[in-house]
Amino acid sequence: MIWLVAGLLLILAALGTPLFAIIAAVALFGFHLAGEPGAAVAIEFYRLANMPALIAIPLFTLAGYLLAESQAPRRLVRLTNAMFGWLPGGLAIVSVCACTLFTAFTGATGVTLVALGAVLYPALRQAHYDERFSLGLLTCSGSLGLLLVPSMPLILYGVVAQQFHTTPPVSVDALFKAGLLPCLLMVGMLSLYSVWRTRNIPRPPRSSPREVWSAVKDAGWELPLPFVILAGIYTGRLAASEAAAATAMYVLIVTVLIRREIKFGELPRVIREAMLLVGAILIVLGFSLALTNWLIDGDVPERLFSALQSGLSNRFAFLLLLNVFLLVFGMLLEGFPAIIILVPLVLPVALHYGVDPVHLGIIFLANLQIGIFLPPIGMNIYIASARFDKPATTIMRASLPFYAILLLSVMIITYWPELSLALVR
Amino acid sequence: MTFAAQRGLVWLRRFENGLLALLVLILVGLASAQIVLRDFFQTGIAWADPLMRDLVLWTGMLGALAAVRDDRHIALDLADRFLAPHARRIARRVTLGFTSVLCAAMCWYSCKLVYLDFAGATATNGMRIVPAWVPEAILPVGFGLMALRFALRAASPPAHTPALLHDPATAPK
Repeated sequence: MIWLVAGLLLILAALGTPLFAIIAAVALFGFHLAGEPGAAVAIEFYRLANMPALIAIPLFTLAGYLLAESQAPRRLVRLTNAMFGWLPGGLAIVSVCACTLFTAFTGATGVTLVALGAVLYPALRQAHYDERFSLGLLTCSGSLGLLLVPSMPLILYGVVAQQFHTTPPVSVDALFKAGLLPCLLMVGMLSLYSVWRTRNIPRPPRSSPREVWSAVKDAGWELPLPFVILAGIYTGRLAASEAAAATAMYVLIVTVLIRREIKFGELPRVIREAMLLVGAILIVLGFSLALTNWLIDGDVPERLFSALQSGLSNRFAFLLLLNVFLLVFGMLLEGFPAIIILVPLVLPVALHYGVDPVHLGIIFLANLQIGIFLPPIGMNIYIASARFDKPATTIMRASLPFYAILLLSVMIITYWPELSLALVR
Repeated sequence: MTFAAQRGLVWLRRFENGLLALLVLILVGLASAQIVLRDFFQTGIAWADPLMRDLVLWTGMLGALAAVRDDRHIALDLADRFLAPHARRIARRVTLGFTSVLCAAMCWYSCKLVYLDFAGATATNGMRIVPAWVPEAILPVGFGLMALRFALRAASPPAHTPALLHDPATAPK
């Protein structure tokens, strides 16, 4: 009976049933088997309203979407280009940095690809970067910022992991601190490769101080944002949810009232767009709260651990398996649901293997980040294919060197915990 | 569909978008007010924190409802890529129909939850100024509407919505 239901649900999932419905079905069925009433699932779902850390998610997402809909992407590219465009591989570095900052804010890698890709791709081609390099670079840069403050997937990992009351605890602030160096590592490695790869391309002249200054003035309203958030969170002055509130209010005032790039009448549509993403994630989270409870009651993580232990004797082997697993999962689903579904299963097992729960979060996101544009079905390949009007196979080929670089950085991040934990502990 | 019904639907959409926008703006306002009050006046609104947490659930449910309309719920999209158009249509009916049934079930179960708290009327926790069943009411309402909308979507062709309202590729410089 159980296998029949499981098989049926797997088929339904493969055919494209919304993920929350699959999880809800498993939760309802599981509760039924355990003799619990269906209303218990509703009670678990309602726990969404008892998680203070969740408040940051709609607020940061709103700020990100407002910025994406305004002219901020264009100003960001102009500013970074004025500052770094003349360096060897300058525009490539600009692309990497701009995409990283942007994804950190929206948490939606696809939105970055669409919004920044539109500005950066023509610029790269115009500066004589070859097509293949430009396509690969942008496709991979889209997902870069997931490890950086105030990335929504990091918050989500924190929220899910907090249910397990680990020692040391997993606070969202700690995750934000832990993500900084690994993110810089990825940005640095990609920049180095870009410099090497584009060494034969003639460099544009250095921007005049006047152009730099005018680009700074142009981006004057947005410029303080990353610094205030970074400083606020890294000094511990602002909690994540407070930083989110301040950011959302500030961006709302700037884009709607001061710059007026989003008309007041359009505001409901932009808000709806942002909340659509939040809603699609929270509903998965809500049902997985119920599922998690059932899994823990059934000792599933413990059983998984004893099953694994016979084959995987040490942490090294466990982490390697985890890497492969996360890459595949990240490819099948976007990053968010992978976190929601996998963390409750993997976290207790990882603790047995002596993995730090904060480090685990960074490993999760670093892997998922690659999975998002991994062939054959990583989402961002198809978003890039639509955006740049190129066949998906071209995008995949163009991305090959970038997989290699990011895989290398993921290995470093995975097997060198201090890189993630240095700023935390 | 008659003209009056279409107009009704348009207004319903506007109401839904407007309500969502309003709740989000209240959330932003309350959260910012709390920071100002805490940092400059060393005080705070006692009922603001539970209200904000409820607003997260409310905006989340309304967002999820909106996501049904645009076919934007997170799902595997293997079928879109590997099935023939005819098979895709059948898959769409089956999967969205199943989801509709599930939402209906959740609507029923959350009605029970709301009724329990309504009849018990004791579960006012801490600082809440309204009884617990009021914020909970979004669950049956949200799941009920989602069940209806999923059933409608199952019979309609997939939606194609742009990722951004202002696409920088087409926007003026």
